[in-house]
Amino acid sequence: MEGISGWFSLRGKSVNSIAYSFHRLTGLVLLLYLIIHLSFLTSLRIGEEAYTAFISTTVRPETLPLDSLLFLATFYHAFNGLRVVLNEFGLVYELRKALAYIMALLALAFWVYSTYVMYVFVMG
Amino acid sequence: MEREVLFRIRRFDGEHAYWQDFQFKARKGMTVLEGLYHIKESIDGSLSFRASCRMGVCGSCAVKVNGRPRLACETQIFDIGDTLEIEPLDNMSVLRDLVVDMDGFFRKHEAVKPYLIRGGDNYGNPKELMQTPKELHAYYDFSLCIKCGACYSVCPASATRSDYLGPAAMTAAYRFCADSRDEGKDERLRLVSGSEGVWRCHFNAECSEVCPKNIEPAKAVQKMKLMSAIRIIKSIFR
Repeated sequence: MEGISGWFSLRGKSVNSIAYSFHRLTGLVLLLYLIIHLSFLTSLRIGEEAYTAFISTTVRPETLPLDSLLFLATFYHAFNGLRVVLNEFGLVYELRKALAYIMALLALAFWVYSTYVMYVFVMG
Repeated sequence: MEREVLFRIRRFDGEHAYWQDFQFKARKGMTVLEGLYHIKESIDGSLSFRASCRMGVCGSCAVKVNGRPRLACETQIFDIGDTLEIEPLDNMSVLRDLVVDMDGFFRKHEAVKPYLIRGGDNYGNPKELMQTPKELHAYYDFSLCIKCGACYSVCPASATRSDYLGPAAMTAAYRFCADSRDEGKDERLRLVSGSEGVWRCHFNAECSEVCPKNIEPAKAVQKMKLMSAIRIIKSIFR
């Protein structure tokens, strides 16, 4: 058995495997974000000041690239997940490669727009 | 037409794995398997690999060529290039050089009961089992599997779970479940509906990409998923 490296070995593989690897990778990023997010929320138990102090470290121009990457991971995971759901129900199975490209393009379009909105919000 | 080619072969002597280079003149039309035979006969007799029919029927000679599983007998050297990296299949332990242990792979195949299950047949008075062309086409493509293990070797679920049945076994299960003559659908669905069965597949679909017979094992697994889901829903209301 190859182990977890089997999820990410891409040599000689098709776009389906690349999509699968990205899906796993973005899933891990979202899991990490969820842990951090819940940790921040837990700081409310200490007090409102602690929570505000934590949050103020994230909503600023320096962290905008990280937020933007988080949105990229979210959109990719969501759209590619939709493709997987469709394919797993046996729908548009023959178009699985085209669908992988379409979903990646949709994720990119949503990511660019969301980054623009965040940029306007943070930079005023 | 002849050309100098380099075969980089991943070898295993039972203890250590290492790469060994073999350079020789290949002629147009020469297959990877013929190249391996040439090395064994003229350069290094200790090289081990499996092969039998030399015509893409037995499935013995599946190896990884430049990272992708292929049948060595059906792959022409010049179609790949001047340098070929040849490795044993993944997800199975290597016994020696390019020979992998396929025992587990075949045990899984056996576990899904890949044969017609029928009750009440009178063998003293045998009757022909008729099928319409539509009934035949429902499973025919999936019956072409040659059990080469290429799909199993690229499956990421098989890479992390040794008890996962794998795409080849589930394709065999679907092939018989979709056969109008078969009466063992429930029995087989029970076998593949667990966490080591269809629900472990997360649709990488690489199995369909590498299948030398274009069988689409991923399609069979998704169809088995649907059958399994219907069976589970029905069992709730029983």
